[in-house]
Amino acid sequence: MGSALPLAILLSTALADFAPQQAGSEPLEPALEARVQRLGKQLRCAVCQGLSISDSPASMARAQLDKVRAMVSEGKSDEEIRDYFVARYGEWVLLQPEAHGVNWLVWLGPVALLLIGFAVIARQLQKKPAAAPQASTEQQAKRPVQAPGDEDEYLARVRAELDR
Amino acid sequence: MSWRWSVLLAAAACTALVVILAKGFGKDPHQVPFMLAGKPAPAFSLQKLDGSGKVTLSELKGHPVVINFWATWCGPCKVEHPVLDWGYRQYGRQAEFLGVVFEDTVENSRAFLKQSPTPFPQLVDPQSQTAVDYGVAGVPETYFIDAQGTIRGKHVGPLSLDALTARIKDLVQPVAQAR
Repeated sequence: MGSALPLAILLSTALADFAPQQAGSEPLEPALEARVQRLGKQLRCAVCQGLSISDSPASMARAQLDKVRAMVSEGKSDEEIRDYFVARYGEWVLLQPEAHGVNWLVWLGPVALLLIGFAVIARQLQKKPAAAPQASTEQQAKRPVQAPGDEDEYLARVRAELDR
Repeated sequence: MSWRWSVLLAAAACTALVVILAKGFGKDPHQVPFMLAGKPAPAFSLQKLDGSGKVTLSELKGHPVVINFWATWCGPCKVEHPVLDWGYRQYGRQAEFLGVVFEDTVENSRAFLKQSPTPFPQLVDPQSQTAVDYGVAGVPETYFIDAQGTIRGKHVGPLSLDALTARIKDLVQPVAQAR
């Protein structure tokens, strides 16, 4: 059983159909190629899960990166290249969503939650333990006389609550 | 901050979270949005696989066009192959059918078509640049372009006879009726 699994994997790999790797376009001069790779890191590969076209080994990603390279060599701006991909694949293609509309929630939500958390903690730390409220003279008169030290603070607070 | 405000804030945060999660879970993470519906079809001029010349999209203006992106390594493409063959025989007079080989070698494609020939032109797309222009996100994908050169829609995955018939009928009727 132990040796059957590797054999099965080997056979299935040998017999399966797979996309033959096509050669990508030639890298541009270093400064431009760095721009290609930087843009590629921002674009999601269409057939992968959360991988950029620069990082994915998929042939689809290679084709998309070739397109970026062609557009960079044509002198297109970063914005034009991003717009080209958004026009075809929607904002889904951007690994870093644009900060506008509902997308602001993604950017500001975590910061807002952190701030609220800090505010709650700060408020709790600043809170002093509540002092036992003083009962009125009339209420005190109603109580049975006790020797000093007979009544503890907790009991006094319970009485004060009941007297309200 | 009073307890009422705290409860309101917590309720608002929970509602926002539920809405965001519902929106996220309602989507298929594998589904790539299709943005080119209703837009002009990207122009191309591609060499035929059999070497008998080029096909240029602009020359087909005035005719509805069906473009199928496929590959020999793609199982569903092989399942779809006879459907497209049938589609061409059935509707070949109403629409132009084109196949575009996606991320495959010319040798593999020719060998496959030798065994299972198609009656419509098959095109070579160097480095899949036309596929990227069309927003292809896998194969098989079939694009339906009307006589005015506007993309009416795309079908992701293998076409069935019914799906192809419905798409062709939609394609050949005037835009006003289609809406």
